[in-house]
Amino acid sequence: MRCEEVAAHARDLPGVIHAVDSLYTCSQPGQEQIKHDIKELQLNRVVVASCTPRLHEPTFRAACESAGLNPYLLEMANIREHCSWVHLHDKDAATEKAKELVAMAVRRAAKLTPQFELTVPVIRKALVLGGGVAGIQAALDMADAGYKVYLVERSGSIGGRMAQIDKTFPTMDCSICILAPKMSEVGRHPNIELLTLSEVKEVKGHIGNFRVQVLKKARYVTKDCSACGECVQACPQLAPDEFNAGLSIRRAIYIPFAQAVPSRYMIDMNLCLNNHGIVACDRCFQTCLQKCIDFADQDKLLELEVGTLVVATGVDVYDPSALTELGYGKFPNVITTLEFERLINAGGPSSGELIRPSDRRRPNRVAFLQCIGSRSKRSNPYCSNVCCMNTIKDALLIKEHWPDTEIYVFYIDIRAFGKGFEDLFQRARREGVNFIRGIPGEIIEDINTGDLTLLGENTLLGQHYRHVMNMVILSVGIKPQKDSHLVQRLFNLATDTDGFYMEAHPKLRPVDTTTGGVFLAGAAEGPKDIKDSVTQASAAASRANILMSKGEVRVPAITANIDPKKCTACGLCARVCPYHAIEGGKEQGFYRVVEAACQGCGACVPECRFGAIEQSHFTEDQIVAQIDQALEKEPHTKIVAFACNWCSYAGADFAGVSRIQYPHNVRIIRTMCSGRVSPRWIERAFLKGAGAVLVSGCHPADCHYNNANQHTARRVEAFWKKMEKLELNKNRLRLAWVSAAEGAQFAKVIREMEETLRNLTSDEREAFIAKLSKAQSKKSEQS
Amino acid sequence: MTDIKIWKHFNRESLYECYQCARCTGSCPAMEVAPAFGPRETILKCLGLGHERVVEDERVWLCCTCNVCEDRCPQKIPICDLLVALRNSAARRGNIPGRLAMAVELLAKTGRSMIVHQLDGMRAHHGLAPLPAAPVDELRKILRKAGLQQVIEF
Amino acid sequence: MRYAIFLGCAIPIKYPGFEAVTRLVCERLGIELVDLPFSCCPPSTSLKLVHYDSWLALAARNICLAEEQGLDILTLCSGCVNTLKEANHVLKQNEGKRRRINRILEDSNHCFQGSVNVTHILDVLYQDSVVEKIIKEKVRDVPLRIGCHYGCHYFRPPKVMYPNELSDAESYVPVRMDHLLSIIGVEPIEYSRKFLCCGSPLGANIDLEAGYAITRQKLGYIQERDIQAVSVICPSCFEQFDMGQIVLAKKSKDRIKTPIFYLTQLIGLAFGLSPKDVGLDVHRVKARKLLEETSIGW
Repeated sequence: MRCEEVAAHARDLPGVIHAVDSLYTCSQPGQEQIKHDIKELQLNRVVVASCTPRLHEPTFRAACESAGLNPYLLEMANIREHCSWVHLHDKDAATEKAKELVAMAVRRAAKLTPQFELTVPVIRKALVLGGGVAGIQAALDMADAGYKVYLVERSGSIGGRMAQIDKTFPTMDCSICILAPKMSEVGRHPNIELLTLSEVKEVKGHIGNFRVQVLKKARYVTKDCSACGECVQACPQLAPDEFNAGLSIRRAIYIPFAQAVPSRYMIDMNLCLNNHGIVACDRCFQTCLQKCIDFADQDKLLELEVGTLVVATGVDVYDPSALTELGYGKFPNVITTLEFERLINAGGPSSGELIRPSDRRRPNRVAFLQCIGSRSKRSNPYCSNVCCMNTIKDALLIKEHWPDTEIYVFYIDIRAFGKGFEDLFQRARREGVNFIRGIPGEIIEDINTGDLTLLGENTLLGQHYRHVMNMVILSVGIKPQKDSHLVQRLFNLATDTDGFYMEAHPKLRPVDTTTGGVFLAGAAEGPKDIKDSVTQASAAASRANILMSKGEVRVPAITANIDPKKCTACGLCARVCPYHAIEGGKEQGFYRVVEAACQGCGACVPECRFGAIEQSHFTEDQIVAQIDQALEKEPHTKIVAFACNWCSYAGADFAGVSRIQYPHNVRIIRTMCSGRVSPRWIERAFLKGAGAVLVSGCHPADCHYNNANQHTARRVEAFWKKMEKLELNKNRLRLAWVSAAEGAQFAKVIREMEETLRNLTSDEREAFIAKLSKAQSKKSEQS
Repeated sequence: MTDIKIWKHFNRESLYECYQCARCTGSCPAMEVAPAFGPRETILKCLGLGHERVVEDERVWLCCTCNVCEDRCPQKIPICDLLVALRNSAARRGNIPGRLAMAVELLAKTGRSMIVHQLDGMRAHHGLAPLPAAPVDELRKILRKAGLQQVIEF
Repeated sequence: MRYAIFLGCAIPIKYPGFEAVTRLVCERLGIELVDLPFSCCPPSTSLKLVHYDSWLALAARNICLAEEQGLDILTLCSGCVNTLKEANHVLKQNEGKRRRINRILEDSNHCFQGSVNVTHILDVLYQDSVVEKIIKEKVRDVPLRIGCHYGCHYFRPPKVMYPNELSDAESYVPVRMDHLLSIIGVEPIEYSRKFLCCGSPLGANIDLEAGYAITRQKLGYIQERDIQAVSVICPSCFEQFDMGQIVLAKKSKDRIKTPIFYLTQLIGLAFGLSPKDVGLDVHRVKARKLLEETSIGW
């Protein structure tokens, strides 16, 4: 486009006293020029027409601030990604569009008001939910940095899955041997308060100031316990031992495993004979030399105040009973990899002897089946990350102890992507482990011997096989915990389609959540091995430490605020807030936004029918100014597009970066979330003669503000219903879900909408506006 | 003889989901007793070599139509619908086993899938009424309108 | 309870004994069977593979006959239920196919509406109200150790045949025949590859040897367990096992033979009918010796 012409046009716009066409404004000299102009010319608003604000808004805001101008008085017009790069072959049209985009920015800038970011104090305490290796690492990193940490674990001991594993890949370290020192450090760390047998019941508050209610269940055994184990012999009750994956028995009084931290026994009161409050059996009490058994122990409810939260709740293992053709649950010698870990573990139910369940004999031929419960639409569609390496490690373990064992691994792909992984894979092959590409279709049992026949196809040979094995180990996938949805609701987390908790940005913010102050660590965020869990845990701790060391955090000044005079306490705004950041009630007579908890999506604003709620820096006036300016000339040729900052606006940017061309009719107006888009804007745009209106946001499962875009859909659908009733052409209002990577999709939508515009006759247009304004005046008469 | 457009009857894109795990062929009864391709190889051939190579091979008929392959497929590919489409195409190209052609011809000509002879005595022995005649003419008209003569003469 | 009874081809022509005993059993249970001028289903193992539209048209015609009488269809054969249920399903869902087929059926004055359902005798007998009646009508137990063979076409593909039973994560395997027979005193026994095909579709139309090779494998698994007889719900499976054992014995001199029963024959025995009444005398693998060892006798 002809930039000088755009600058010249800008000079004539109301309020503009200085307009300059310069190169590389974002560079140091460019910024210095802006600062100089602000001071010299006493400017009180700045508009930079250039690249996308998603790139340099912070840069220019900083420049304004250092020149003494409030940073929120800066506006940017995107004339690059949204204009010159997507209209390469029509310089005239691009120039005209750029002029209008600049005019829109100027008119909005006139409505901007200074904003001051709120500073919220951060309590220098953290809470870690989950005592697996990720939770342990995060707790240690924050405690070592000097902050108090509550480590909340729902079972009787920390350790998690890593404590159950025998050896780790690729180093073949003994798992509990490397974990136990960390567990012990947690147990005696002066800054860590370990709360086992504890669950989070409620989380209130916001970044820097969370009020967490923790239920600490009764253990019935006091601190005096020396873990001598005498009580166990006395107990008459039996139950399957969860730590040993159900392969052995424990008593009602038990310690989860030998290296447990805290090193204290506990009573499973559901199993104990005293579970109705009457002491019917006190055998363990009588046997106990330390006299540390206390049947009168009670659950305790703790109220904790912390500044940051780390969610490290780990994973569950897939149950292959559902795959009936494999016989798990029917054939005793078909087991899972978790059960195998316990068998081969020296501390496990068979003292490390590899024996098969049916006859306790050592198997000579063992098969591992990969991808059980993973990469499948019948169970979990994702790859579970660890199973290939886990099997290779297991195979090497067997070969190490019993070299004459024949081992077969039935696979589809072997994923050995990490450091040292390919080496381990090679070692396994050298040791004579057979890798056969082709998962068995069916497993048959010989009831006399307990042996299993695997029927399948060796795809590399193109031959059917019938392999007889003594034992089959199913390499099961890992999946989110059964109750992950409860934790999700408590902590306001988003989950992806597989049920794992979602990070704020998959590349650049991998341990943050979209809720400020809440971080993720470990397999709860996605299947991963120990190394990645520990890495992520340290990352989460570091992010939390930033907040806690600063002791305060600045909240972007784009929060919502309620005018108590206009508020009727209907509560509709509070109901749509994804962060429960609006408090109040009918009894109080009004509602109020908790600024520190507000993430600035704006979904609440369109909900209010009394004009009582506004979003700073995205007010009705400011947006309306942009709409009006966009439609000043030849409105019927324009598409007014409302695009959300995180997905759709970014998607349009991406179209620009990719130089995907599309018609120049569109004028994009940015909001933080598509949930901010008000039906009043749509109506106004149409009444002003807009050819078409586009409302665009993130895909339903991916909303940056958890699920605020469901309100977008609801509002647009309601508007369509209204259009249907008035017999208006619904095609002129479009709802599109466009992600940040979907530049082509954005361009496609604009092209389709432009066609709709072309086919509009002037009669149709006039009739449309007439019907709509009639309906509007009817409505205002009624109210 | 005009062939059917296979990919109009079956969504080719669903075949891209196949990652060749071989659970289907591993479960296939026909694979064990006959030189069949098995579903996995059939899908691979359709994608890699083109379906013509499959439908012109007489081994495409070696199948029990038992549906276990589709049952066990982790990607839920509707394999059996593909196999029906492939065989319909094969038949139109003249690739059809002799006995199968005879069975279909019998059906088209007599309206039944089995040959009837000396039946009424046996039925009376069990206290059953004689078998009513098959509506051969009506069925023949329907089959002609449907286009069966493209494949079988009757 | 009133159904249009769909006999298919095999049962009325080759095994009229099954038809007779089924009619008797239904009469005792108060299930009214209406005969309509149905034709061959037609088989999904032959015509469907050769010319899909012909298959769909003939199947639709049969369904229309029942629709015009306002009756659900009760089949006695897994092949028939597979064809009719799938055709019903496809035509109910796919408007394009429905229009095409209705055009073909115009001259016969039929028009598919999608107003009836298709069911199998096993499913009808498994309903709670019918089970209660079976318990009442039962005069004696059938104390046999039976391996059930459901066959393939009865329940696959589950998304068409039993969509309500199928959960996303599992593959559906039926248990109702085992349950039903245990009510009449049978001890259902599990065996390997219980849901393997009998081999009939491969053997009958394509490769006889190959078909029997599968049957032989199946019989091997049945005979390695303590199973006295097999119960089937399809005449093709019946023939494959019954005649199949004779054919296989010629080649390998297999001594052991396992008698095969069609489901309603066992129900009939429980109701006090004699083995001859239920048509056991025409089976190729004789059940005489087996029954003489039990309280039922011959």
